[in-house]
Order: sequence, then structure tokens, then C-alpha cells
Amino acid sequence: MRVAIIGLLLVIVHTLEATLFQYLRIGNIAPNFMIMIIVSFALLRGSKEGVIVGTVAGFLNDISFGIHLGPTIISYALIGYVCGKLNKNFYRENFIIPFFCTLLSSLFYSVTNIISLVLRGQLNFGYFIKSIVIPELIYTITLSLIIYQVAYLINEKIEQSEKNTRNIF
Amino acid sequence: MKLNKKVKRVGLISGILLIGLIGLGKVLDIPVLSTGVNYVLYPFEKGINLVINGTSNVFERFQNVNDLLAENKALKEEVSQLRYEKTILSQYQDENENLRTLLDMKKRYADYEGVGANVIGRDYGNWNKVYTIDKGLRNNVKDNSVILANGGLVGHVEEATDIASKAISIIDSRSAVSAEVSRTGDVGILKGDIELANDGLCLLEINGESEIMKGDQIITSYLSDIYPPGILIGTVEQVLVNNNDLVSYAYVKPIVDFDHLQQVLVINTESE
Repeated sequence: MRVAIIGLLLVIVHTLEATLFQYLRIGNIAPNFMIMIIVSFALLRGSKEGVIVGTVAGFLNDISFGIHLGPTIISYALIGYVCGKLNKNFYRENFIIPFFCTLLSSLFYSVTNIISLVLRGQLNFGYFIKSIVIPELIYTITLSLIIYQVAYLINEKIEQSEKNTRNIF
Repeated sequence: MKLNKKVKRVGLISGILLIGLIGLGKVLDIPVLSTGVNYVLYPFEKGINLVINGTSNVFERFQNVNDLLAENKALKEEVSQLRYEKTILSQYQDENENLRTLLDMKKRYADYEGVGANVIGRDYGNWNKVYTIDKGLRNNVKDNSVILANGGLVGHVEEATDIASKAISIIDSRSAVSAEVSRTGDVGILKGDIELANDGLCLLEINGESEIMKGDQIITSYLSDIYPPGILIGTVEQVLVNNNDLVSYAYVKPIVDFDHLQQVLVINTESE
């Protein structure tokens, strides 16, 4: 049940991002919905699920748009793991922690991308930070406030139904 | 009813005057009475008519408002319908032009098998320019097939699956194309660059002794494994001033508009 719903959510978001959400680009910069979803579910359910969600999301991204299979999987799984470690330390109704986690995760993902670019010999850091990293960061953390609420609701529903089925047995 | 003397007298005199006037009129063939009456009444009639005309127009206007509103509504509906049809027609026109250029290209590269395809997905990150197209191994699209659009080079197929393929464009920072300046014949490397890619440009690195200048046409060279020679890439937008004589750099503007890429032509270069 949980696997099916979250898997379906990831696939739908991936498809929408590749097609329809291209129109959400502001100044050619798109927000990163996958990071928001990974951070939300990692914070709600712990590091184990965070890693799984991150791996699946990274797998989808790499298999559709990556040249090598792996870089995005690793960075997304790391994000899921580290955010999941914070699961026990905060209340779910607290909306500040997801905000900061998304901020740091988006920054981390941008830094991994910049590192791979630097290894290819592109060194215009000023442009990267000013025109890509910071706009993407602002866009992503603004939307994360909404996405976390949605993920919270979905998680509530799933846990409710799980509790019900557990009572039957 | 009592009539006093004065009234009787006035009545008598006026009656005689009237009869006299009418008689005079009969003799001179002039409608005296009606003329006099007309002279008296004319200003009033004129005035009243003016007022009536003015007001009746107003009333008519109010009476017609409903009709006008209905007519206006009908016309507006017609206008929106026509506008809708016009947009559809202009879309068809654009599509027609696109397909026609594709057909032209197919003729030009007739030695290779070609198939038209649509772009169905784009990389949603901000770092790479990778597209998904809707033709795959079933339509004879293979790895390293070359993709063209609008008469210019788009890129090549990175990975072909059964029904769809992943295409990497020439403005992606991971791609490099062996390019040639068609005027001078110098061969250089055309690389994608993130900063330039967002402006739709890419970077050409070429021998410092070549006399490249703004407006030169850039085509694919004869050195490449993937790209067949002679495909148009774009024109030189700007030549960068460089201090050393070893390498010179130029910004190249591709013909293809990568932000609005929809229909592409895939040619399979390994078909022979």
C-alpha cells in the first residue's frame, strides 16, 4: 500500500516535471520537486524510507536524463538518509525543520552538480551561484512549504489505513 | 346660455371678417385661413417635432437596447469562434512549415534513413539540456543517431530504448562536436557551456591562426564518428579577443531554438 502510493507519486511527479512543469520555469529556472518530496518523506518516516525514496527518485532521474547511472541516486539517497536521521528529533507539525532541510538539501544537490561541472573544466562559479543555485534555492524552499503539507496529509492517510488493517488481523 | 352684446358683436364682426377672408382667398386662389394658421402653428409644430424627434430617438434607443445586446452577444460569440479557428489555423500553419522544412531536410540527407519525431520530455534540472523523443529502436532509431530540426543540428541519441530515446543536445555541457568553419575550412571543437546554453549559444574552440569572423557559418566536420559531415550548426555570433595565438574562442548561435524544440528529424547514420 505505502510502496504503491509513494511509488506512484514519484512516477507522476517525474512525468509532470518532464512535461507540464516546464511552464513553471521562471527565468529558465525550475524548482526541484523531487528534493522536496524526499525531504518530506524522510522527515516523516525516518532514514530507511528516506533512502528508499531518494534512490527511486534518483533512479528515475538518471535513467531518463542522465548519461551515467548513479550520481543523482547517490546524492538523493544521501539527502534522504541524513534528513531521515532528524525524524526522531522534531514534531511533525513543526514546519520550520522541513524548510531548513530542503534549503540545505537543495544546496547540497547544487554543490554536487557544480563539482561534476568543475571536473569537466567549467569554472565560472559566479554565474553558477548567482544565476542557477540561488534562484533554484529560493523557488524550491518556497514551494517546499506547500509540498510538505501535502506529504504530511498523504502520510496521515496511509498511516490511518495501515492502523485499520493492522486491527483486523 | 346667455350671450351678452359684446360677445355677439365680436362674434358677428369676426364671422364677417372670416367670410370676407375666405371669399378673398377664393377669389385670389390663396388658402388664406390655412396659411395664417400655418404661420401661427409652424413654430410650435416645428418645436414640438424637434422635441419629439429628439426624445423618440432616445426612447427608440432604449427600446432597441435589448435587441442590440442580443446581437452584440451573438457577434461576440462569433468573434471568439473565429479567433479560435484562427489560432488553430495559425498552429496548423506553423506545423506545416515545420514539417515542410523537415521534409526538405529529409531530401537533403537522403542517403540516410530518416524518421520524424516529437520531443516529449525535457530534463527538469537546471544543469543539463537533455530531451526525450518519442521514437526508439522500433522506428530504427539507434544509439548515436543524429537529430536535426529546422535545418540545423540538435544533437545525437545517447540511449535508444524500444519506444523512446534519450537525446543529448549540442548545448549540453557534456557534449562536444567536431565543427568546421565553412568559409575557411578550419576545424575546431564546439562545446556546450552552461552559461551560454541559457542564452542559446555554445562555445567554439578553434586554431588561433584561423581568420574566423562574425557571421561565418559553422558546419559539422569530416572528423566525427557520430555526425556526418556538412550538417549546418549555426553562425558565429561573436569572436572573443584572445591574447595568445594558440587558441581562439567564438560564440556560436545554433539555428535551432532549443527552448521551443518540438518536432525533430532523426537520421540513422549507420544504415549503410
